[in-house]
Amino acid sequence: MIQADLTIILPEILLSLYAMAALLFGVYTGKDKVAPLLTWTTAGAFVLVAAWIGLNGEGTNVAFGGMFHDDAFARFAKVTILLSAAAVLLMSQDYMERRGLLRFEYPILVSLSVVGMMVMVSAGDLMALYMGLELQSLALYVIASLRRDSLKSTEAGLKYFILGALSSGLLLYGASLVYGYAGTTLFSGIIAAAGEGQMSLGLLFGLVFVMSGLAFKVSAVPFHMWTPDVYEGSPTPVTAFFATAPKMAAMALFARVLHDAFGGATADWQQILALLSVLSMFLGAIAAIGQRNIKRLMAFSSIAHMGYALMGLAAGTVFGVQAMLVYMAIYVTMNVGTFAFILSMEKDGQPVTDIAALNMYAKREPGRALAMLILLFSLAGVPPLVGFFGKFYVLRAAYDAGLAWLAIAGVIASVIGAFYYLRIVYFMYFGDEGEELDGGKSPVLWAFLMASAAAMLFGVVNLFGIEGAAAAAAATLVN
Amino acid sequence: MSLILIAALPFLGALLPGLMIRSGRTACAWATASVTLTALIGLLVHAPAVMRGEVIQYQLEWMPLLGLNANFFLDGLGLLFAGLILGIGLLIIIYARFYLSRQDPMGQFYTYLLLFQGAMVGIVLSDNVLMLLIFWELTSLSSFLLIGYWKHLPEGRQGARMALAVTGMGGLALIGGMLILGNIVGSYDLTVILQNKELIQASPLYLPALILILLGCFTKSAQFPFHFWLPHAMAAPTPVSAYLHSATMVKAGLFLMARLWPVLAGTPEWFYIVATTGLITMVLGAVIALFKDDLKALLAFSTVSHLGLITMLLGFGTPFAAVVAVFHIINHATFKAALFMSAGIVDHETHTRDIKRLGGLRHLMPVTFTIVMVAGLSMAGIPLFNGFLSKEMMLDAATEAAWNGNHWLVPALATLGALFSVAYSFRLIVHTFLGPKRDDYPAKPHDPGFGMWAPPALLAVLVVLIGIMPALMVGPLVATASGAVIGGDLPYYSLKIWHGVNAALFMSIAAVVGGLVLLAMHRPLDAAWIRARRPEAKAIFDALMRAVTGAANALTDGLHNGAMTRYAAVFTLAVIAAGSAAWFGGTNPAPAREALAIGPVPLIGWILLMVATVCMVAYHRNRLLSLVLMGIVGLIVSVAFAYMSAPDLALTQISVEVVTIILLLLALNFLPKHSPVESSNARRFRDGTIAVLGGLAVGGLSLAMLLSDFSQESISAFHLANSKPGGGGTNVVNVILVDFRGFDTFGEIIVLGIAALVIFAMTESVLGSPVGAWLKQRPINPLEAGDRHPLMMVVATRVMMPIALMVGVFIFLRGHNEPGGGFIAGLIVAIALVMQYMASGFDWATARQRYPYHMIIALGVFAAAFTGIGSWFADRPFLTSNYGYFQIPPMGEFELATAMAFDVGVFLCVVGAVMLGLESLSRFAHRAGDRPSPYPMDIDPSRDLPQEAKDA
Repeated sequence: MIQADLTIILPEILLSLYAMAALLFGVYTGKDKVAPLLTWTTAGAFVLVAAWIGLNGEGTNVAFGGMFHDDAFARFAKVTILLSAAAVLLMSQDYMERRGLLRFEYPILVSLSVVGMMVMVSAGDLMALYMGLELQSLALYVIASLRRDSLKSTEAGLKYFILGALSSGLLLYGASLVYGYAGTTLFSGIIAAAGEGQMSLGLLFGLVFVMSGLAFKVSAVPFHMWTPDVYEGSPTPVTAFFATAPKMAAMALFARVLHDAFGGATADWQQILALLSVLSMFLGAIAAIGQRNIKRLMAFSSIAHMGYALMGLAAGTVFGVQAMLVYMAIYVTMNVGTFAFILSMEKDGQPVTDIAALNMYAKREPGRALAMLILLFSLAGVPPLVGFFGKFYVLRAAYDAGLAWLAIAGVIASVIGAFYYLRIVYFMYFGDEGEELDGGKSPVLWAFLMASAAAMLFGVVNLFGIEGAAAAAAATLVN
Repeated sequence: MSLILIAALPFLGALLPGLMIRSGRTACAWATASVTLTALIGLLVHAPAVMRGEVIQYQLEWMPLLGLNANFFLDGLGLLFAGLILGIGLLIIIYARFYLSRQDPMGQFYTYLLLFQGAMVGIVLSDNVLMLLIFWELTSLSSFLLIGYWKHLPEGRQGARMALAVTGMGGLALIGGMLILGNIVGSYDLTVILQNKELIQASPLYLPALILILLGCFTKSAQFPFHFWLPHAMAAPTPVSAYLHSATMVKAGLFLMARLWPVLAGTPEWFYIVATTGLITMVLGAVIALFKDDLKALLAFSTVSHLGLITMLLGFGTPFAAVVAVFHIINHATFKAALFMSAGIVDHETHTRDIKRLGGLRHLMPVTFTIVMVAGLSMAGIPLFNGFLSKEMMLDAATEAAWNGNHWLVPALATLGALFSVAYSFRLIVHTFLGPKRDDYPAKPHDPGFGMWAPPALLAVLVVLIGIMPALMVGPLVATASGAVIGGDLPYYSLKIWHGVNAALFMSIAAVVGGLVLLAMHRPLDAAWIRARRPEAKAIFDALMRAVTGAANALTDGLHNGAMTRYAAVFTLAVIAAGSAAWFGGTNPAPAREALAIGPVPLIGWILLMVATVCMVAYHRNRLLSLVLMGIVGLIVSVAFAYMSAPDLALTQISVEVVTIILLLLALNFLPKHSPVESSNARRFRDGTIAVLGGLAVGGLSLAMLLSDFSQESISAFHLANSKPGGGGTNVVNVILVDFRGFDTFGEIIVLGIAALVIFAMTESVLGSPVGAWLKQRPINPLEAGDRHPLMMVVATRVMMPIALMVGVFIFLRGHNEPGGGFIAGLIVAIALVMQYMASGFDWATARQRYPYHMIIALGVFAAAFTGIGSWFADRPFLTSNYGYFQIPPMGEFELATAMAFDVGVFLCVVGAVMLGLESLSRFAHRAGDRPSPYPMDIDPSRDLPQEAKDA
């Protein structure tokens, strides 16, 4: 029995063991000197595990009496998480090493948080949920303040920690209410308890608080307050990490809780989600207009994007979940490319984050500028780039589910949001002559930027087939 | 040729110029032209069938899940537009070969041009609205690249930005509209959508869809109030202006309106929005055009005006007006492209486009003059040229339109528009070419080579041919295309020069006469125009952008000012709002039980608690005082536990309370005694209100929860029943800790031990760092450091020590059956030890410490582990407990349980962890000048002072 359970959770176990072994290795050998090596092996391990999960996984397997689900949905999310985390790790290596930030704990913390995320997306029980969430969050708190000698980085870490602890507490409070009124922490039990007619008040409160806690993790408005500060304060590779894998994990967890545990009470959470979604889209779009710092801008951009993903979720249908998954996969790919670009923005070896520094960038670096242009247009959701299909998916899901007002609001928000993406394009192509950025030297960053832009361009053929995978994933979740 | 191939050819061909540029500029141009020519021929092959009324289709599934299919279809309207795009495209390619100078990267230009061409062809051939959207945005993208082609011109940048912002956002709005439209019908295929007029117009979402779609069309076709971007985009090279901004891209909006005319037109909403916008644009564009001195700006505003004209015709919603619209699209494309190319020639040869610096070019550039003359007269609507025909028909259609019951408004304004149109057309001809020859041209003007004037000349010939023999030249095309727009029977109309004496003729005559008068008065009018303060669209656009950015910044700065308090406030309010939503959204169950009556003792306790809490909030700036008050709160909570029959909890609470207070006392060492006042009263009031709200909400929720039942029986009954038989103890809490959930406890003590070790390791590393050095250098304030080891305290703690230890042992031993246990005992013993540190000093205590705390922690963990392993020897799973009764003669029967050994482990671990943690933290307080006191206690603080000081 336990044998079978362990087999199902083997990827997570192996990755945890790897993290601990790497820690010991790091401590007893060269410490920070082995950090580049560890970064590469960790990325390699992620890719291996992703391939293993993606190619080998079949059917739905349940371990530990329902606490842990290994199904198509979890696998879709895990592969996205692992691959994006690997990409970010590879992108960070050169950047952090040159600035003396690359501590050997960094890849280890990332892998621990990735394990947390994998547990999150597989959670079939409030306990597993909380365990995964906290493992992830605790690692992220540390990573956020990795640059200990920077006031901004430490402040960001501290803010993130305090607000994160607050939201974890809230989530836990909600979970305990759910337990109290459902009599079980298993999602399958909760859905049975919640499904019988009108949900009891205690369960409703539990649902609302759990949702609030999760909304914090996906940085949905009004629980987003930490996002701009943390994005701005953290070292850029860390920001890139924050913008990708954890978002996917939190969104997948959100979907899992809502559908597995509260799937019978769609009406109760649909309006809340729709509200979160519309607030996120608009605040993200409006607030980003005035931003000059590209990292802060990306923070608001990610808030807006989470709004769109939540829109898919708000539909409460299979198609909605599928739309959310497709959206998230596209979003993560776009962000990897965009951050590869941001990481290569530097002058005299110093990182630059002011968007005005991009003036006339296209003249000096036409290739990179074109790739960034494609990514920005894709982020704005301009057809025919892949970003458009993501938006189209969620808009359709919302519309089909009878949330026409939400879909229209989404369109309006995307019109507003296009403004600031296009402004960066404008700077790159037509800005005033100003101080020039150095061309990035890292071939890794270049490769990721180009690959991501190419994906936005060539993905229009068939979205690389993720549609089918997302459809299968969504079908296992919603029934 | 298959339709998809026609659409794909320019895209595929876009690779060619880049390759061919190596073989020379002419080869590059020919390669590009051959691509377009092939596509054009492929299109024309279908023309006979389309003219017969057939609709040619091509279908390919792309993303069926999304309803996105690569479907194309070709009907009359598509044929007309595709023909215009490819035909004029061909001319532009030839023209550009000679227009672009040697320094311009020609390969790049042709690549962009072909991309743009492909996107345009895609728009007009798409059968799927999503495909259409894709091509639509592709035109924005490629036009952006084309407009920005001359990067060195500053106005080019501004223009590109504005064009991109306006059309890009309009395109996104269009997406929304199209999605709604597709959802109303249930299909994204245009051919299906066009069949469902009733369904669409009856839908409640008709109006939002209409507005969003029209936003897309109006922005693209530069309709009022979005007309301002087009003139500013004129900084682009002239071939681009001629192609994008007169013949094709700006007509995409018109195309879409015409395409959707069968399903969207005919409602009052359509009429009032579209026709009114068109009318305003037509008049406004014409008026502004008259006063523009830049040749291209003049043409740009005239384009705006003519686009408005066509929009207005489509807006009328009558079949006749639709026919006229189609006819005018053809005419406008021919004369306007010719004019743009000619303006480019003038610019190219004289190096200026300023009308005020030109004039008298008639003899210097006779060919160009002829072309401009023909095209310009057509634009003015003079008979024998094609512009006249469609203008007459337009005025005819306008006489039948009633705006809100008013029958003269539309015709009057239409005539006014035509009047200004005449004026600026003649101004273009007269002020540029007629008049005396000047001698201050920036360059010596002469006619260009054949390659450059041939394309506009061809168009000029068309202008005349259509003007003279309309029915023969374009009759079938107009019929087929209008048939596609109207989607039904064609109305009666006739394409001929002479329609007899009718209202339109009089209006036309009035327009020509009035226009000539205006031109004659141009000089004073122009002066007045320059003097007049008028709203400048660009300034408004910029101001709008600034205002939007300012508003966005205000919002962001207000919300995200970096202050933690604000974030917490937003968080709290959001949670309260979410909670209230749940409270008011759900059904409140009736309370399952009565609240307990409030006796005098709890009441007093409650009042004490409240007073202490309020005092703490009030006096929190005095940190020592707030610690004392915090102690009171903790104490009352412990008492409350005891009162509520939870002695275990009470004991735990009070021990934890003591340990935390000691920890906080340690922290006080490093903090100022008072916290400064940092926030204003208003802010504190705001925060206070939020806090009170939050407190009330949590309190209320807890009360509601306490009064209602949970879904299942409480688990306590099970424990009460099983504690004695299963675990051998009557203290349920202890049995749970050491037996039922012993495995958890085992984990917890390990974690506790690790936590203490981590604290130790961290203090070590901090104290070894520069921070540690800094801490050591803190000055000692002799006033504060009076008694280091006060006599009373030292004596009291030393006397209490054995008693406290005994209490610890007692609590431990009784733990299994009565309140107590290893955890509490550990805390009590730890407190007793900590007291020694506090009273007698660190050095004194350390000197008497025999076993390091690390070892005690390890011992505890091992004790617990071995207890667990012990059960393996009895063939039981890990940590299975057992108990038995033993007789020890003088004391009577005695119970021993294996769980007690486990409890010893807990006890040791707690003692070790608490001591190690506190000891480590207290080391922060060390200062560089600290010397161990030679005396065990301070009997007489003055004994070390020199004799003189004592005497004094």
